[in-house]
Amino acid sequence: MERRNEILNYIRNRPGVTFRELARELKLGIGDLQYHLGKLEKEGKVFSRKVGRRRYIFPAGFEEEAQRLLMAISTETRRKILLLLMEGEMNQGEIAEKLGVSQPTISYHMRELEKLGVVKARREGKSVVYSTNYDPETLVRLIKEYRPGLWERLADSLIDLLAGMGEGE
Amino acid sequence: MEMLLDVATILLALALMGVSYLAYRKSHLRATLYLTLAFLLFAFKKVVEISAESRVIQYDIGFIVDTLEVLVLLLFFLALWKR
Repeated sequence: MERRNEILNYIRNRPGVTFRELARELKLGIGDLQYHLGKLEKEGKVFSRKVGRRRYIFPAGFEEEAQRLLMAISTETRRKILLLLMEGEMNQGEIAEKLGVSQPTISYHMRELEKLGVVKARREGKSVVYSTNYDPETLVRLIKEYRPGLWERLADSLIDLLAGMGEGE
Repeated sequence: MEMLLDVATILLALALMGVSYLAYRKSHLRATLYLTLAFLLFAFKKVVEISAESRVIQYDIGFIVDTLEVLVLLLFFLALWKR
């Protein structure tokens, strides 16, 4: 029981932790951890979402936020944008240049990230500068653990291709 | 050999359909939905053609195939136009 509380507290302090990271940090065996997580999920204290090739674990009450976060990091370009914005505020032109992606593609992704509330925009003179609007530690952890499969990478390329052809939706 | 190429065509069309659908789920861009439908119809068209060649379908498929071709091209057009 004490072990289970330790797992629960760890998940509450680090929402979005992956199974692998949890096992490593708490020095737990796979079977042991699976057993406790199963119990915690049954009790409705935690839930998990599989994105890419990783399963992220969140504490209960984090459902809406988890959805937003995982959507925000679901494409490669968005992950790169978020990591870039952690270095400091940037406008769309600067982001496009640093990532070597077309401006319409960046424009589409910034709009989506803003809608998800993970990025905020601020007018500075004639341009709009963006910064992250979420706990950087959580974002970096989620992005670092993200492992897209081949199909996902192809889908990401298609999204960038279509978004780059114009203003997107 | 021809059969092998036909099967490869269907598999590729279905793979592209899967990629487009995954892109739609991630982005909700309308263009990706049009592409999903286009690749699905393309695969279906190929299945109809193979069925006719191997005499599984006995009647004339000319109209069906032509209609599917128009629909596929229309969906590609929509994907470019109505992003």
